[in-house]
Amino acid sequence: MSNQLSDGTRPPLEYDGVTRRSFLRTSAVFAAGLTAIAAGLAPLLKLDDFPSLEEFVQKYYKEMTPEDMAKVLKRIEAQVEREYGIRPHVRDLKPMNGVEYVYCLNLSRCIGCRKCVHACVAENNLSRNPEIQYIRVLKMPHGSFDMDNAVHDYNPAMVPEKDHFYMPVQCQQCKNPPCVKVCPVHATWQESDGITVIDYDWCIGCRYCEAACPYWARRFNFKKPSVPKEKINPDMAYLGNRPRRQGVMEKCHFCIQRTRAGRYPACVEVCPTGTRKFGNILDPNSEVSYILRTKRVFIQLKEELGTSPRFFYYFDV
Amino acid sequence: MRKAIRNYLVFLWRSSQVALVGDWRYYAWMGILAVFCVVGLNAYARQLAHGLIVTGMSDQVSWGVYIANFTFLVGVAAAAVMMVIPVYIYKNEDLHDLVIFGELLAVAAIIMCLAFVTVDLGRPDRFWHLIPGLGQLNFPASMLSWDVIVLNGYLLLNIHICGYILYCRYQRKMPAKWFYIPFVFIAIVWAISIHTVTAFLYVGLGGRPFWNSAIVGPRFLASAFTAGPALIILAMQVVRRVTSGPLPEGLAHGLERAPADEMRQHPAIFDDLEQLKRQLPQLSSVPEQTLREILPGATVLDVNAGDTLLYQGETHPFAFFVLEGRVAVERKESGRFRMTRSVGPGGQFGEISALSGTPRVATAIAEESARVLRLPAESLRKLMKTPQMHRIISSRMSERLMITDRALMTLRGIVQVAMIINVFLLACEVFTEFYAGGLHVASSRYLYLGLHGYHALVPWIWTAITFNLTAMILFLLPVSRSLKWLNLTCVLCIVGIWIEKGMGLVVPGFIPTPLGEMVEYRPSLNETLVCLGIWAFGLLCYTVLLRMAVPILQGKLTQMGETGPARHGPSSAVKIAPAA
Repeated sequence: MSNQLSDGTRPPLEYDGVTRRSFLRTSAVFAAGLTAIAAGLAPLLKLDDFPSLEEFVQKYYKEMTPEDMAKVLKRIEAQVEREYGIRPHVRDLKPMNGVEYVYCLNLSRCIGCRKCVHACVAENNLSRNPEIQYIRVLKMPHGSFDMDNAVHDYNPAMVPEKDHFYMPVQCQQCKNPPCVKVCPVHATWQESDGITVIDYDWCIGCRYCEAACPYWARRFNFKKPSVPKEKINPDMAYLGNRPRRQGVMEKCHFCIQRTRAGRYPACVEVCPTGTRKFGNILDPNSEVSYILRTKRVFIQLKEELGTSPRFFYYFDV
Repeated sequence: MRKAIRNYLVFLWRSSQVALVGDWRYYAWMGILAVFCVVGLNAYARQLAHGLIVTGMSDQVSWGVYIANFTFLVGVAAAAVMMVIPVYIYKNEDLHDLVIFGELLAVAAIIMCLAFVTVDLGRPDRFWHLIPGLGQLNFPASMLSWDVIVLNGYLLLNIHICGYILYCRYQRKMPAKWFYIPFVFIAIVWAISIHTVTAFLYVGLGGRPFWNSAIVGPRFLASAFTAGPALIILAMQVVRRVTSGPLPEGLAHGLERAPADEMRQHPAIFDDLEQLKRQLPQLSSVPEQTLREILPGATVLDVNAGDTLLYQGETHPFAFFVLEGRVAVERKESGRFRMTRSVGPGGQFGEISALSGTPRVATAIAEESARVLRLPAESLRKLMKTPQMHRIISSRMSERLMITDRALMTLRGIVQVAMIINVFLLACEVFTEFYAGGLHVASSRYLYLGLHGYHALVPWIWTAITFNLTAMILFLLPVSRSLKWLNLTCVLCIVGIWIEKGMGLVVPGFIPTPLGEMVEYRPSLNETLVCLGIWAFGLLCYTVLLRMAVPILQGKLTQMGETGPARHGPSSAVKIAPAA
């Protein structure tokens, strides 16, 4: 652009024209800036959890064809084998027709031993460091149902303790789940058998569901979960206990890898006192149908919120 | 079409070049911001590599200072509307030139908001899951999906409005009203909506009693309209200070001369009016009879570069039209030279105070040797009898780029009222929580008094309340009419609201957890560095935007290389519409 205009109009003020000196200076500043940015990004070299292109463009769970899914499951199996040295069996189990799972928990029986917590950790390949647990057992003073009085970190030599009762809390598998409503990307949804699942490969990690859950049932992978190689449970499901990535949500899924294959959840199986009952509410002969039919009182936690949990607490009355 | 695109690219190129030019203070400021940006980037890279474990957040308190800053900045962005409404709905003259600075602040604030949300994501690599069509945006069920839409929409709206008006100024064209006024009105509604939607993000969570209250939305707006304009008051003074700078080359000594009587002047002849007619075609609409009538009072002045044509503060009933050369119009505010405007052939100055008989609001100095036609006010009124000339002469009434103390006082009024409402709503909230008591109050108790021996937020919230109350009282006192006190009060407002609405709103919502567990939150060093980095980046963006906008608004950066000014308009900015 010329600085002298023939028609006598004023040339623009100082902003035009690149001299050699200013060019060199600008280049030097740019080079220094780029170096600084590169140096700033150096910690990324430690990022070993980088997604492959295939993973990056992976489709949404509900849009995958069976062939797509087969490929994805293969990839996951290979990944697990590479990382943990064990060949897992990863399945994509679908909900069964005519089944709606319901959980009943007998507050008169629970002794607070936390065996369910440990069984859950082992079954679902939960991170040991940092610790992630789907079940939180609350120690509550006799006579009160106020969770503000709950003790979370009780650790006596012997349970149960006098004048207390114990209330394990995990995902309540709500009929009207706030977490599903708030998820901005449909990464979590309710299946026809009542289980609210998470696609770990779709979650963006905004933790809005964690804020929305009134039961504090959701957990976030603040870092890459670590599970000792020898402790890996190789029986895995896509929506269930396959290893999670850093930065995604997870939560109790009623041991989908077991229950959809006709087995009880790990916590039900391990409970030494028969506190935990699990079954199909659509089957009138199931244990849970019997409990909900005959027990005088059962409680849905925070019933007033309208979440309508599929998790019922009851007493031996 | 290709020419239009080329012109536009040249515009972007030239204005971005302007952003790279400045004095040592500018470079120092940008350098410091750049350093903070890189430090923040480094901290974010560490977070990406190791996960959000490097923050102070936990499963118990799963949102922290990132979302707190996000919430605060949405308010700042929304507050730009508090300048748009007075200007476009109430036709406020004082804020007219400033509204574009408010909108640019909104652009920078939204960029910061988006950055804060991004750094809060566990898997930013999957951001495309949010893009409608590509991903699975859960619209309209998720309030977060609403936020994605309204924030990006607001960003685009503001970029369009500011960009279009600046481009028109650069081209010396009148902005086509249909091309931006509808968007201005959409942006007004949109601004309210971005903050309401952000409030609903919290309000919609039934499991969090601290947030699940209808008053949170109105409180958000009240606090936004307090902190936002307060920030604009401070930013405007910085702009005013740095743009005052030294006078354009060759003018610095002009003020010391007393050239008025040295000036060669002679009565105007009809040829002078003919010359003006060539540069100001609208003059042709005036009947020759009228032109002959005004001729006796008209004078032509021949001035040299640096000669002063009129002084700020003096009163005399003359208006000026430039026939040849250029004249700078400088304005002094609070003892320093502020915004300037450069007037070329066909341009006018001094007509407003001539017509109204008020003291001159600016000083006019010849930038180069110039010929200027001086007309008394009564001649001006005669010229204004034709609608064309009337429009030309009165158009300048609203196109001055000047940050006046009056404009700052108008903003002060807005902040004053918003602060009173804000404090009132807070009192309503506190009353409801504590008087009724019950389980509901646990989080509030934790925030204001401490709960079960945990009280990390107590000193913070009381600082915020003290700041807000002090600011409110100062705003009510006449002392805040002085800039020094006004600035102090604005700082108190901004800090008070940042605490109250950021950490004071986000964090206690998580404490105690829905299962009654008490886990406190403290931002980690890494998290703090990321926040500082984003703030620095936002300030960098705002500085660059202002740096580009100011010379365009002043008429210093124009499309002169492409087309002469005479093609589009008679002078520097005569035909240019008010800045939005």
